[in-house]
Amino acid sequence: MNAQIIGQMAVSGALMGLVYALIAYGFQLTFATSKSINFGQGELVMISAFFSLTLTNLGFPYWAMVPGGLLFGALMGLVVERAGVRLALEQKSEGWILLSIIIGLFFFSAAENIWGRDDRPFPTPISADPIHILGVDVTRLELSVAVGVFAIMGLIELFKRRTLLGKAFEAVSADRDAAELMGISSTRTVMLSYGLSGSVAALAGILVSPITTVGPTMASALILKAFSVAVVAGLDSGFGVVLVGMFLGALESLASFYLGSGWREAPGLILLILALALRPNGVFGKATIRKV
Amino acid sequence: MKRILLLRGAELVVFAFLATIPLLVVNPYALGLLTLLAIYGILLIGLDVTVGYLGQVNLAHVAFLGLGAYAAGLVVTKLGLGMVPALLAATLVGLVLGGLLALPALRLEGPQFALATLSFAALSTTALNELEALTGGAQGLSLSRPPILGHALTPPLFYWLCMVLLAVVWMLMRNLLASQWGRAFEALRDSPIATDAMGVGTYKHKVAAFALGSSLGGLAGGLYAFNFQYLQPQSFTYDLMIILLLGVVLGGRKSLWGAFVGATVIVLLPNLLSNRLLFQIFSGLGFAGALAAGVQGLVKKTTRPFQALAPVVAMGLLVVGGLFVENTEDWRKAIFALMLFSVVVGLPEGIMGFLALFLAKLFRVPHAPLPEPADLDTLLPVRPADGSALLVLDDLKRYFGGVKAVDGLTMTVRAGTIHGLIGPNGSGKSTVVNVISGLYTPTAGTMQLRGVPLPIGSLYSVAQAGVARTFQNLQLFGELTALENVLVALKGVYRNPLPMVLLGLARREERAAQAQALALLELIGLREQALVKAKDLTYGAQRFLEIARALARKPDLLILDEPAAGLAHPDVLQQIEFIQRIHQRGITIILIEHHMDVVSELCDTVTVLDGGRIIAEGTPDEVKRHPKVVEAYLGQPPQPELPGGAEPLPA
Repeated sequence: MNAQIIGQMAVSGALMGLVYALIAYGFQLTFATSKSINFGQGELVMISAFFSLTLTNLGFPYWAMVPGGLLFGALMGLVVERAGVRLALEQKSEGWILLSIIIGLFFFSAAENIWGRDDRPFPTPISADPIHILGVDVTRLELSVAVGVFAIMGLIELFKRRTLLGKAFEAVSADRDAAELMGISSTRTVMLSYGLSGSVAALAGILVSPITTVGPTMASALILKAFSVAVVAGLDSGFGVVLVGMFLGALESLASFYLGSGWREAPGLILLILALALRPNGVFGKATIRKV
Repeated sequence: MKRILLLRGAELVVFAFLATIPLLVVNPYALGLLTLLAIYGILLIGLDVTVGYLGQVNLAHVAFLGLGAYAAGLVVTKLGLGMVPALLAATLVGLVLGGLLALPALRLEGPQFALATLSFAALSTTALNELEALTGGAQGLSLSRPPILGHALTPPLFYWLCMVLLAVVWMLMRNLLASQWGRAFEALRDSPIATDAMGVGTYKHKVAAFALGSSLGGLAGGLYAFNFQYLQPQSFTYDLMIILLLGVVLGGRKSLWGAFVGATVIVLLPNLLSNRLLFQIFSGLGFAGALAAGVQGLVKKTTRPFQALAPVVAMGLLVVGGLFVENTEDWRKAIFALMLFSVVVGLPEGIMGFLALFLAKLFRVPHAPLPEPADLDTLLPVRPADGSALLVLDDLKRYFGGVKAVDGLTMTVRAGTIHGLIGPNGSGKSTVVNVISGLYTPTAGTMQLRGVPLPIGSLYSVAQAGVARTFQNLQLFGELTALENVLVALKGVYRNPLPMVLLGLARREERAAQAQALALLELIGLREQALVKAKDLTYGAQRFLEIARALARKPDLLILDEPAAGLAHPDVLQQIEFIQRIHQRGITIILIEHHMDVVSELCDTVTVLDGGRIIAEGTPDEVKRHPKVVEAYLGQPPQPELPGGAEPLPA
């Protein structure tokens, strides 16, 4: 009985964890090209989710709402890149940390005023009825998260490997200067990565909102866990984020069950600090050799 | 003298004015604001240590404010102690937890550091919320202001207490940040590798800076608790953190006055937002300022278009928004965001940075005069070149995965010689230097300095053992002046303990250090440029400065990693002369170089590497004629027996 509860909690937690993994994957995309990440990514998830909710309320069907949401996310990603990241990268400074936080704050305030401060339900055609698989109950909704996460990650990886533009992306990730010398515009590639990252964030919002509801505060809850996943796995760990995301999701769901829901964030945060202290490049990340 | 009088005079006038206010005005609301100003002043001075001096985005400061506040509150409510122990406890909590957080965050830079501090802040909010038995959780914690030394603290008295503490913190920090400590903090920001290699422990200084800043956060927290007499975990969240960052950045980083200006802005913000007319006036002023600065920047072409236009757009949004929005309070976060954005992009030095430039022009304040250079013979006494074995490398290896960068190097460097280390690109020269200086741990082999094993894998320990190095890719502390670059590395002068430094009793030592540093700058011809920032020096001067900085370690062994790389011919000649001057003082030098003429001119012995192994060793002339060396540099000569002999030379 007890084992079954644990199993149940772990599985639903792990499925939630896939959302953190997806947001963390968005960090990886921009980190690869520019060694920068958007500290306001949680706000991007949140406003994209709100935007998609508005589309749904306007009567758009699910299949039209999703691309609309992704497009909006990409646009917002580009805004972050233009306003917050590009100047700092040109100056080779770390100003993007502060600027992306600031832009996130602006998005947060805008969302609060446009869509209100309350959490709102996110309607979806996918049913929330449980299915019984291998002794645990899983809802179609939770399964849709897994399908969506793997679908977009697979598509982006295919894009990077199979298309010319994708190869340019990989080239800039491997060596920015050399890619520039080969005639690839690194600025455009960074823009592309922020656009993709924004879409990924939007999808994360669309997938998670039917389960958790949409509200301005969803940003901070999600972002910390996504940070933990990205850092624990390593910012260049590829699919490592999926494993760590599922692990963290399961851990968190167990922690909130045994310690109380107030503590549900704690394991992720402790894991993050530990990982930073012990393995700054992440469990699946590559160690870099310092050169002078 | 004039400079000191002006600076101290301004401080005295402001503090005296602030101290007399309660005697002149009896307005509880204004007094409350001023009390907050003092508290936030202390808080921001602490935050400026990490954000300004260490140059890291610190998102945990608000947590230390909260933890300090709760520590003080609990000392009073649960332990029943008075105000002094409560404030001490608050400071201590900041100091200890700050130090503890700095330990794991130590190896981290930039985004990772920001993340570590962000998670710490989130974790501490969780703890304050969930440890209900202790903190009362979301219900909050009420406390009363205990008397101090038997006196009940009326609002004016509490205000004076806060002001006195601000003045004390101000004085101590002014002394500390102007000392070797403050310079080390800044050096850390510009180049942690060089800071370690100059024997200044990054470890010690980073922890110290962070713990110190956090302890001020704790102290401010204690005062905060007694000011509001009611605490809630949700007062100390991310939102407040953003406002604090706004304060530091807007006021101006690396400046006590900047922290003060920032605190003023923070205190006045709520009033600004609640009064529409005031808001419109200020946003209009901001817009005009951004527009003027932007146009000027564009016309003079001193700023990029984005830097000029973005603040105008942001401020414009503020003005337009102010006309349409019903309640500015609802949009406060967006307003903060727009203000911060404009400042970060358009006024990176903050209000004080801008004003300081302006005031310096207005008053034409000269820099405090520098002392006469110290005597070089006492500073770097001439050592006998006895030719004994100084550094012995035995079968040294360093592999990177399958790459054998250094593969069994056995070499002896004799005291008082210049030992050249040459070889084609990728032959392993730089790896050897990095292994000796402690950046890399050797895969195998031993290294001995004067018969004692050299510390392994720690730049800091190797530097302490008497080895100094320069860097092929310059690792200067760009924001520090040439003089300060040398001062940071200076060995054997700074002896006064921290309390003396804090109290400003270490001035003599500072003068002595300046004299020594100037002597070293004179040695390499940079005395006239002592007060120029390193990043503003010419490329040649930067190369020379690297050597002066390494000399400040008064080393037994000086490793010069391609000191002539990229130099124009006249500079190369000068460089040769400087190296000879250093050699004449009996300092042993390992010289890695590509310029064959430099090597021939300077070196007593030359070791030639190829593929991580020694292929020749001897005097420059012997080595130049050695067939293997010729082959390594120029490729295999055409074999006469091959028809045509048309084997292409490797590039």
